[in-house]
Amino acid sequence: MASRTLLVYAGLFLLGLVLLAVGALTQPYRVGATPGSEVGESLVAIGLTFVILGIGYFLAWANPTQ
Amino acid sequence: MEESDSGVKYLIGRSAGKSAVIAAFVATHVATMAGLWFGGVRLPQFNFNMLNGWLVLGLTADPVQTFVIGGILHYTSGIIWGVVFALIVHPALGRFIKPLAALTPTNNYIKGVLWGLVLWVISSAFWMPLLIDPLFGGGVVGPFLTKFGLNGVQALFANLLWHSIYGVNLGLLFSPTPAATRGSWRAASGVGVR
Repeated sequence: MASRTLLVYAGLFLLGLVLLAVGALTQPYRVGATPGSEVGESLVAIGLTFVILGIGYFLAWANPTQ
Repeated sequence: MEESDSGVKYLIGRSAGKSAVIAAFVATHVATMAGLWFGGVRLPQFNFNMLNGWLVLGLTADPVQTFVIGGILHYTSGIIWGVVFALIVHPALGRFIKPLAALTPTNNYIKGVLWGLVLWVISSAFWMPLLIDPLFGGGVVGPFLTKFGLNGVQALFANLLWHSIYGVNLGLLFSPTPAATRGSWRAASGVGVR
């Protein structure tokens, strides 16, 4: 059970990394306040969200304060 | 970890209120700083301090004054939303969603993430379009933040990232667990309680 839970957290994290990489590679670089591609920047934002959620799940699961 | 008389212990403080205020302050600060750094990862910058300052002082006030006054307002809002979560939403979620009833770090974390999503919807559907858009004369913020100045829908997802950071930190830091044993919540609730 515990290993399956860990796999879910790892999957969430990896999904975030993939979305982040695709977003970063497909969009032109943002120059100052001028936005790049909507799709690329959206993928970066969603990817980072998944990465942070995955790390958070792991930290909650590992319960490091105990 | 401090233990209260209520049978529940918190990561910070001895009461839900004190724990909520400190956890919400930290969550707000981490998310606010992350929003200011969004430009570094090719996202639109989210400067909620300035947005709040403009709401109160207008667009022509001194920028430093606007940032400081807006920051005080923004941090106050973040702490109040955190207290609402800790004292009202957190117990209610445990009551209405049975799998989240047990006071475990993972359940507390999931509740924090859910609260972050709720605040993202409130921010994108109401706060941005109804308050920030008129400030700039209209047409700057699209419905549900599908447009934000020169940015399109990426602003909506950057806002999701911002509120997820807030929810993750709030859920990890405001973490009440049973105080039946001093050793570990696992010993109190049994292994595999997740």
